[in-house]
Amino acid sequence: MIRVTDLRKRFGSSEILKGITFEMPPQTVLGVIGASGSGKSTLLRCLNGLETIDGGTIECNGVRLEAGLSHAEYRRRVKELRLKVGTVFQHFYLFPHLSVLGNLIEAPVHVLHSPKKKAETEALELLESVGMQQASRRYPGSLSGGEQQRVAIARALAMHPALLLLDEPTSALDPRRIHSLRTLLRTFVDRGHTMIIISHSMGFLGDVADNILFMEGGVAVEYGPTEEVLNSPKDPRTKDFLNQAE
Amino acid sequence: MAQKVLRWGADPSGGAPYVFTDPANPDRYIGYEKEMVDALAQAMGRRAEFVPSDWETLVSALQRDSFDVIVNGFEPTGDRAQQILFSKPYYIFQLQLTARRDDDRINSIDDCKNRIVGTLANTAASRLLEQQGIPLRSYADPVGAYRDLELKRIDAVVMDVPAEAFYARPNSKLRPAGPPFTRGLYVIGLRKDDLALKAEVDAAIDKIIFDGTLETILRKWGLWNDAQVEFQAPIRAGTQSTKIEEYTSTTTTFNWREALWRLTRAAAVTVLIALGSMVVAVVLGLPLAVGQWKGPPWVRAFCTLYVEFFRGTPVLVQLLFLYFGLPVIGIAMPGWLTALVGLGLNYAAYESQVYRASLEAIPNGQWEAAYSLGMSPVLAFRRIIMPQAFRIALPPMTNDFVSLFKDTSVAFAISVWELATAYRELANASGQFLLLGLAVSAFYLAMSLPMAHLARRLERRLSNRATERLEEAAA
Repeated sequence: MIRVTDLRKRFGSSEILKGITFEMPPQTVLGVIGASGSGKSTLLRCLNGLETIDGGTIECNGVRLEAGLSHAEYRRRVKELRLKVGTVFQHFYLFPHLSVLGNLIEAPVHVLHSPKKKAETEALELLESVGMQQASRRYPGSLSGGEQQRVAIARALAMHPALLLLDEPTSALDPRRIHSLRTLLRTFVDRGHTMIIISHSMGFLGDVADNILFMEGGVAVEYGPTEEVLNSPKDPRTKDFLNQAE
Repeated sequence: MAQKVLRWGADPSGGAPYVFTDPANPDRYIGYEKEMVDALAQAMGRRAEFVPSDWETLVSALQRDSFDVIVNGFEPTGDRAQQILFSKPYYIFQLQLTARRDDDRINSIDDCKNRIVGTLANTAASRLLEQQGIPLRSYADPVGAYRDLELKRIDAVVMDVPAEAFYARPNSKLRPAGPPFTRGLYVIGLRKDDLALKAEVDAAIDKIIFDGTLETILRKWGLWNDAQVEFQAPIRAGTQSTKIEEYTSTTTTFNWREALWRLTRAAAVTVLIALGSMVVAVVLGLPLAVGQWKGPPWVRAFCTLYVEFFRGTPVLVQLLFLYFGLPVIGIAMPGWLTALVGLGLNYAAYESQVYRASLEAIPNGQWEAAYSLGMSPVLAFRRIIMPQAFRIALPPMTNDFVSLFKDTSVAFAISVWELATAYRELANASGQFLLLGLAVSAFYLAMSLPMAHLARRLERRLSNRATERLEEAAA
């Protein structure tokens, strides 16, 4: 279970997240939509602990991160949270000095202390499931954008996260690739993963997401099943946004 | 008619009692040889003009016409005889061994077999030590030698009696070890073709000996002794004037095999200093870089101060400070270690800047990717950031280390027997500036070229890895 309650984040004097609250059941996909500057990316960066939260709580499979904890305790929980949450960045940030296989086993071996052989076997299985098994010995610099994305997904999944975050996964893909990404993500959901996806592509989210969260000005304006939010939004602000998006 | 000038060259630094700066009046030079040259010039109807020079390069300066004569407690040796002309002798010197007062092991030159003995480069004393196979360290002036003896960097000093009398005897921590030994001559050096001037100078020497002027000067400086009486007697009796051959001088002629062997030893010291300081720089550079980059404010301030200090002051001054300054607070390192530490500290400042620039060149996304995989900052730095930064840092590091090899030459300033010192001393002793220069350059190249080659290969291996893998995958 992932639950976010009254989440607040400030940069200096401007409040970027003004009390976000939502809850998502396991094995579902949440699509986050909203204009640039609405706070989507900040929300994602709070969920994986890259930003310190100023108010509210984040609960993810038994880890509870909240504002107002002592520094040491906060850091300890961020560390736990990061083990539950995997991230696929918009620009992937693969490690260029490591091979594809090296990218996948780096964290399992050095963070989880898995035996190298076991980590490699698992990594090769993951690469197979994203269709990249033939590239295991290549280096990120020699991969196309789509290939890098698949490796980035596999790298995040190698840590067995309860929640997978994807930031703008369709931004660099052509329509055919977008389709195969949809198929791939649904496969992982069927295998038990939970995901939050930020995207500007309503078509893609319409296919892949179970629920949609619409944000504007740091506020969660509307939250509901994909079908309802995209086709018959309740809030006029959502309506406006969707009209402009089309 | 303008009066003719007699330009004479000598090294006034640490040059007492020969010629040195008057402590009471820093614009004036004094010394028994200063007074003697004035007397000689007067006898020749000339005006004496002193040209302050450098002991090591007196012969080449004379040949380059910087002055007309060398008057600097100069000994007529075989190798010098090939390059320049000598006047009649004017003084008989002896050597004196000096040890520390608290060290009673050394009482004669025979006790020095396995100890390090300091002396002036290219003198009767240094030749005597070389002939007897005693490990010696050369100094540019007596002050440095006696100070290092006091600091226990060396075990004894051999010096001509006049210098010993002036510098060592007043020092309560030092003592004469045994009586004076060996006899040698001081002569005046002239250019090979300057026979007319030689005749003039010889006549003037006879004159100031004959009329007692020289005795007066030597007595005034406390340098009059039995040896001088014996030497001057026949001249003053008018029976005979002394020839050089009557006194045995410790003479060696230049020997290429010996020179190459000494250059090889110097090269080994150079390599030791370069590699050692490299290790210091590489290891110390990293905490400096990280401290200046991510440290708390006071750490950052300290690292910045360190870097600015070592980059902003000459490495030569830093070495002199470490060598001469630190003993004041009780830290007296031997010369090679001083050079190693000094260059290491200096280059650490430069390496830290290379590292910092390389670390800052790694995109923040790499950190975030590592964090989001659960890595701690330390693990992310060690496994993700540092290996990438290393590739960026490698080319400038290679550059620095090739120049570090060359910078070891500043160690000559603190009498370390490395290649540059070896070149200076061997070439000054033999006049073989050209051939020895080529040999020394060959030594430097033999050290720096493999280094540059190795670094290039490493660079290529790192940067080609991605493309190699790509080709492999395509095949």
